[in-house]
Amino acid sequence: MGLRAEPGSGASDLRVERDAPAEGAAPAPRPHARRVRQPVSLQTRSLAAASIALAAFLGLSGFALDQAFYESSLQQLRDRLQGYVWSYLSGSDVTVSGRLVLPEFPPDQRFDRPQSGLYAGVAGKGINWESPSALGRKLPFDVQLEPNQTRFVGPVETNIGGVYVFSQGVDYAYGDGSKSVRLTFHIAEHESALERQMQVFRRTLWTWVVVLGLLLLAVQLGVLRWSLTPLRRVERDLGRVERGEIEALPGHYPRELEGLAGTLNGFIESERWQRTRYRNTLGDLAHSLKTPLAVLRNQLESGEDGERLRAAVDEQVTRMDQIVAYQLSRAATSGHSTFAAALEIGPAAEEIVRSLEKVYADKNVLCEFEVDPAAAFHGERGDLMELLGNLLENAFKWCGHRVVLTARRAGPIGARRAGLELQVEDDGPGIAPENVERVLQRGVRGDERVEGHGIGLAIVQDIVKAHRGELVVDRSPELGGARFTVVLAAG
Amino acid sequence: MRILLVEDEAPLRETLAARLKREGFAVDVAGDGEEGLYLGKEMPVDIAVIDLGLPKLSGMDLVTALRKEGKKFPILILTARSSWQDKVEGLKTGADDYLVKPFHVEELLARVNALVRRASGWTRSVLECGPIALDTTAQTVTVEGTAVELTSYEYKVLEYLVLHAGELVSKADLTEHIYQQDFDRDSNVLEVFIGRLRKKLDPENALKPIETVRGRGYRFAIPRSA
Repeated sequence: MGLRAEPGSGASDLRVERDAPAEGAAPAPRPHARRVRQPVSLQTRSLAAASIALAAFLGLSGFALDQAFYESSLQQLRDRLQGYVWSYLSGSDVTVSGRLVLPEFPPDQRFDRPQSGLYAGVAGKGINWESPSALGRKLPFDVQLEPNQTRFVGPVETNIGGVYVFSQGVDYAYGDGSKSVRLTFHIAEHESALERQMQVFRRTLWTWVVVLGLLLLAVQLGVLRWSLTPLRRVERDLGRVERGEIEALPGHYPRELEGLAGTLNGFIESERWQRTRYRNTLGDLAHSLKTPLAVLRNQLESGEDGERLRAAVDEQVTRMDQIVAYQLSRAATSGHSTFAAALEIGPAAEEIVRSLEKVYADKNVLCEFEVDPAAAFHGERGDLMELLGNLLENAFKWCGHRVVLTARRAGPIGARRAGLELQVEDDGPGIAPENVERVLQRGVRGDERVEGHGIGLAIVQDIVKAHRGELVVDRSPELGGARFTVVLAAG
Repeated sequence: MRILLVEDEAPLRETLAARLKREGFAVDVAGDGEEGLYLGKEMPVDIAVIDLGLPKLSGMDLVTALRKEGKKFPILILTARSSWQDKVEGLKTGADDYLVKPFHVEELLARVNALVRRASGWTRSVLECGPIALDTTAQTVTVEGTAVELTSYEYKVLEYLVLHAGELVSKADLTEHIYQQDFDRDSNVLEVFIGRLRKKLDPENALKPIETVRGRGYRFAIPRSA
């Protein structure tokens, strides 16, 4: 198993690489002097992204709330100050002589208490009154406004700090109503009241924002751990496969991981299959070589004379050579593979026929192709070359002058990968039906006596079997010679 | 026939060279690709047998280099790899045939003879010119169906002339392609061979198969039958 998941890739093991300053003058290249920086873990990524988004979102909401509260507090302040103006207005009177008489009791006790933070004043032609609380303060009460004009300003800097001032101008009729005096009422309040209110609000607001943020992060972390659990499970299961505790990844993964698990299982299966094949091939090879070796030893010990010994050695060497060739090709067969690309038949067949035409130049073979462009082989290029090479060489060897190669799609149209039907026909003597079995059997088993022509067909059979297909041998209705049909199933 | 044999494994190279010489070939041997390329370029080679796994210059590269030099002689490659992908690769670089190791020397000889014959435009293994027939597989000669006994050198001379039937073959050509080493061109050894061949093929002096073109060389005068 070449697959190994990196364990424990949590936020904690995010490594920051630094090039250590080289010590000494010798710049000898140190292996692994610079490790490749590991990508940030999924959990860290999600958490970082969520934290940033959360902070931005909560911060902005807090800011908006703060602004809204400030606006509404200001409005409240203005309304309150205006209320005081009206109280003063309604309680005041102007005598016939034009003297302003203010109410006996102010609308709020604080107007009478010095330094209370709430001040009132009236300014007009020849009239300048300030509430007792404003004594000794320099308040901006000298502004004159038009009748019914109002003004709210603040905070205005004064010698007692910033104040908010609400002013309203009035036209005060007195006497029999023919005389009037223009007055401007001012109410001022020290900013500390508003500030205190804002402070209380802000403390509450931001406390809750932080609490909420932490809460959401915790939830996010929980969600993340929960949704990454299947990944951890895959990792754990892979570890178990690696240690040989289980055969393959068990099913039941979330939909997003099913494909991955399937692919991994494909890898595991093909790897295991390949290993079994290698082991089998190696075993077959060793066992099948033992027979000729035993024969040779017997011949040597039997004290045969030169010529017969030579013949025996030659026979056994030939046999061993064929065994090695056959088993070698079997080991190279990769067989049905989950990840093989679709190979076109035409170009491969073209290459082989061009080679065969060189080798069999004397025969002047006419080789025709009927290759469907949609026909494709799903597997290793080596397997396709062996299939076509051995079938076509067989045909070239036995034909009179004509060979026909047909390739077409097979199996249902909708299949994920189409099947393939390969057919090689020749106009040679053909193979009698009763001999087909024998021809195909020849050389299939490694320890059997194999003859020259048998190896190619044995290899073809092996490849066909490895691809879960079938090989049929009959007579070509058109050319009269042998017809080899290979059908590889769709899948 | 002058054959170039490029094989790095000394025992195999020497056995093959000895056998080829016995069969009447003039043999140039090389133990690596560079030497092979040098000999291939300098010698009047009729056919080359090249192993694919060579030191200095691989067999594939050697074949490619020879073809790039414009050398048209047939090339037979020897390889331990028997997969079709390897075979196709080898033949694609410009070789004409391949033989998978291990092989029987007889198989090699048959392939070599077939390649030589094909290179001269003969398609069948029996070369027929009128009543004279050379069986290149069995290396026998018959005149009107009667076997004629020839030494292997006589056979090679006749084979060279018949392969180039109708063409003028200079004495220099013959000595270069038949003999292992260049020898004195004025020597009359070749004339002695030709004289003996004439006597053996045509005792009655009726067919006159080998024509002497005075001062230039010889020509096999009976046209090809096939």
